[in-house]
Amino acid sequence: MIQPRRKRHTGWWLLLAAAVVLAGIAFAIMWRPALAPQAAPPSFDQTSIARGANLARLGMCASCHTPDLARPFAGDKPMETPFGTVHSTNITPDLNTGIGAWSPEAFTRSMREGVSRDGHLLYPAFPYNHYARMTQADIDDLYAYFMTRPAIDSPARDNAMTFPFGFRPLIAFWNVLYLDDTPWQPDPQQSAEWNRGAYLADAVAHCAACHTPRTKLGGPDVKRQLDGGEAEDWYAPALNRNSPSPLPWTRAQLQAYLRSGIALDHAVAGGPMQDVVMHLAQADEADVAALAAWTHSHLAQAPVRRTPAQQDGPLPPPAADDPDLQRMRLGYALYANSCARCHDAGRDQTSGTALPLQKAIALYDPDPRSLLYIVDDGILPPDGEPARWMPGFRAILDDEQAGALAAYLRKYGAGQPAWPGLDKAVSKARAP
Amino acid sequence: MTTYRLQVNGKPHAVDTDPDTPLLYVMRNELALNGAKFGCGLGQCGSCTVLLDGQPVMSCMVPVSVVGARMVRTVEGLGDARTPNVLQQAFIDEQAAQCGYCIAGMIMQATALLEKNPAPTDAQIRAHMSPNLCRCGTHMRILRAVRRAADVLAKGGKR
Repeated sequence: MIQPRRKRHTGWWLLLAAAVVLAGIAFAIMWRPALAPQAAPPSFDQTSIARGANLARLGMCASCHTPDLARPFAGDKPMETPFGTVHSTNITPDLNTGIGAWSPEAFTRSMREGVSRDGHLLYPAFPYNHYARMTQADIDDLYAYFMTRPAIDSPARDNAMTFPFGFRPLIAFWNVLYLDDTPWQPDPQQSAEWNRGAYLADAVAHCAACHTPRTKLGGPDVKRQLDGGEAEDWYAPALNRNSPSPLPWTRAQLQAYLRSGIALDHAVAGGPMQDVVMHLAQADEADVAALAAWTHSHLAQAPVRRTPAQQDGPLPPPAADDPDLQRMRLGYALYANSCARCHDAGRDQTSGTALPLQKAIALYDPDPRSLLYIVDDGILPPDGEPARWMPGFRAILDDEQAGALAAYLRKYGAGQPAWPGLDKAVSKARAP
Repeated sequence: MTTYRLQVNGKPHAVDTDPDTPLLYVMRNELALNGAKFGCGLGQCGSCTVLLDGQPVMSCMVPVSVVGARMVRTVEGLGDARTPNVLQQAFIDEQAAQCGYCIAGMIMQATALLEKNPAPTDAQIRAHMSPNLCRCGTHMRILRAVRRAADVLAKGGKR
């Protein structure tokens, strides 16, 4: 009579014990202590600051932390994520609103573990899952650079996260899944330059943050390294054997592209990549060459295929028996009357020459987003930066026209099968 | 040749022309609206800027066939020498033109900004005006003129 009752009691106790242990583990994962504030930043030597400046450019820190050129590194750029809007923070040495009170240990912890000085967890929009593999010397140089910038008063703005992601301790579980802080290891089979590029691409420039697809939880899909991801809703092309590029990249083209955004007769940087180029243009040239060497070794795995890009000349009108003739005719008329004015002008190559559209990589992407954004918004270099400039057609073309143009270019420019869901992508790209 | 019915500065027009004729050519050659200028013909300079349903477009790149029922507005629709509108007056007050070739496009580009955002910051003015080029180098005066017009509007001035 008594036995069964006692058994039930034991069951409850076991459950409670398990819950306590789990809560303990969860707490241990989620809780990080505050680190003591420092009264003032220490002093640094000039060579360390200069190395840090180069690393900040290679890491494109300003891309998120300097939305206003007049207030370098003061933060306050909103970033849309699938989990809500995150605002970048002030990383100037301001004692109250920036990181002036952060000791070298606090700065290192934020870079390696994504933890703020006061112990709260940072959102992985800050790519600490890459910086975790930086050398300590590089982190120290970056610290020297940021601590010697002018201090700016700029309080952090509240983020607008969707439920339940406003609860920061949840990030701890993301870190268990995706934060790999194994130190970066060189590949002895490869050259010193390749290894420098590999290190910079992974631990500093965080190329994979956009060029590797993400899982539903927003972490890198490590089984598909560099297999194409997204940035600000643009398609970020695969850099591996699945590269959509219709012509093989040469290393020289890639290096020119990374420095200037222009690989003559091959590609022009658009969208978020323009910002990357702007920063790499100011970084050490040998480092960018190393990045190009590493990236090219991956792009070179893409098989050479026959594509319309191998032929010069204007794009053809649609075939008379095209099953979607009316739409293709509209697309062709728009190509001939608007695009071809520049893209098929048959002029000599200059820094201002537009690509023949059969060479435009966006036509070969697995989805139409980047092409639609280029057609709608053009190619606008960041404020004050020299680069290609293409006017946008958002105000000129209606949705039907933009869709017809994209469908035509895909079929008669790239010779590729139609994009599934093109009409939906058009409405989404053009939603007010 | 096809007949296109256009709405320009609130007035209907019918034009017989080829579908690939740029809107700029139609305005200048058929409608005697010579405010918008041919600069580069490649959508790179902005001297042909007009508004299409309130949005600034470079009319050298707009085939007449895509315009449809959308309202075209040109500098001639804003005001005239005797009754300039607020932006035209501001450009006069700041003496923002040297040769003047780009100015009609500049004023239309600025019109689009002030209709959307009557109180722009200086940075917003610079960013918005950046597609339009002036080879004489009066950009600073042009920016001041847009600022002046925005300030007049902020004080309750008429458009």
